[in-house]
Amino acid sequence: MGEVIVITSGKGGVGKTTTTANIGTGLALAGQKVVLVDTDIGLRNLDVVMGLENRIVYDLVDVVEGFCRVKQALIKDKRYEGLYLLPAAQTRDKTSVNPQQMMKLCQELKEEYDYILVDCPAGIEQGFKNAIAGADRAIVITTPEVSAVRDADRIVGLLEANELRNPKLLINRMRIDMVKRGDMMSIDDIIDILAIGLIGVVPDDERIVVSTNRGEPVINDEKSGAGQAYRNIVRRIKGEEVPFMSFDNDQGFMIKLKKLLGLKAD
Amino acid sequence: MDENIISFKATVNGLILIMRDEDDFETIYEHIAQKLESSGRFFKGASMTVKYRGKKLTPEQEQKIAVLISKKAKMEIKGIEEDVSVSEPESDPESSQKAVNKPKMKLLFFKGLEEGLTKFHKGTVRSGRLISFDGNVVIIGDVNPGGEVIATGNVVVMGSLRGMVHAGADGNKEAIVAALSLQPTQLRIADVITRPPDTKEDRQGFIPELAFVKDDLVYIDRFLPQHM
Repeated sequence: MGEVIVITSGKGGVGKTTTTANIGTGLALAGQKVVLVDTDIGLRNLDVVMGLENRIVYDLVDVVEGFCRVKQALIKDKRYEGLYLLPAAQTRDKTSVNPQQMMKLCQELKEEYDYILVDCPAGIEQGFKNAIAGADRAIVITTPEVSAVRDADRIVGLLEANELRNPKLLINRMRIDMVKRGDMMSIDDIIDILAIGLIGVVPDDERIVVSTNRGEPVINDEKSGAGQAYRNIVRRIKGEEVPFMSFDNDQGFMIKLKKLLGLKAD
Repeated sequence: MDENIISFKATVNGLILIMRDEDDFETIYEHIAQKLESSGRFFKGASMTVKYRGKKLTPEQEQKIAVLISKKAKMEIKGIEEDVSVSEPESDPESSQKAVNKPKMKLLFFKGLEEGLTKFHKGTVRSGRLISFDGNVVIIGDVNPGGEVIATGNVVVMGSLRGMVHAGADGNKEAIVAALSLQPTQLRIADVITRPPDTKEDRQGFIPELAFVKDDLVYIDRFLPQHM
């Protein structure tokens, strides 16, 4: 029996889709059978980030409306074995699907796949309700910005109201140099407010932009700091204990990471 | 006489009787008789299959109706059966939209490729927009990635075609897709689906091209001489 993990944030543009693509790829590389479900109907992006846009024939709405079977709509990834995408419809809207249908779909997918990652749309309306309907676990994404943290806090509250206990926090686009200068919220500041368990911190990385535009997840890029962070997150999702990258002292991994990123190691 | 109890619908496949579930068989039978009295001549000499929908009938009731129609309308009935194809499309705008969105391949597809109904769309078809039409479609503008054009006939784009396009959507393999710059996300003609290769080629300017199906393969050709 698989597990359904919803990746959500409230605020837009914090990296839900990028995270879904990378974690999904990472899990598939680790030998798991993974389905990525894009629930952002009308504003789908996951297919573009995965570089699978031109393979779409059927989509999520076709599946829930019974127009095709789930198997027909799943797109096999072109690079990684065991990775599948269920794309959202582009010419419909969020009301085309309801939470009951999502729940049924997730149940069906769970039978055959190890992980079902649901990419949630921004906002807290119908699309969000659909995305969380069938979820067993949740990962809440935020960036070190007051607005993103505010929205993440609202999301955590809504998840708890919907019986999704213990959501995990992923802090995205962290810039250590800015935190050091006191220009950015630190990890501790964010955890103080949200008070949920941390699953990982992903540094800001130019390579993400490149990889997104090319349609290739960054997780396989050995040189990328973000790729390393995602690899650690994947191991934590699988239940391994992985120490967090050190952010406080300059010894160890972070100094290497900064050098790799071309940032000045102070 | 209540007009809604029974209505006749002539289709290319034959005659469809549309009845309501709440009326009992006797009333329906009575109304069919009356209706044929007034309009039965129309079918005289015809030979077709009769289908019905809206109500379940027993084989005996089917037979009774078949006999009634053949006697009153003087037509030959090849068979009578329940119509299980699709539920009334025009009664439900939601489902009719679905039907156009994902058209079914039909045996009797749209044939007006050379001279048929044509929709002209002025302006760019942006992501999330669906232009669908039972006929030919001309887009005076671009079709962006994420935009969709679905037509039962030809599709002509007077601009760059970068989105999804489906010509001959109900089964006509003779349909074509033409664009001043043909770089679709995905191109479908009837039930043939193609996508461009994953390696992106950088093209400058407009190269007017035409896509068509031959032996279940999509071919792409320039439709203007090279030098222009």
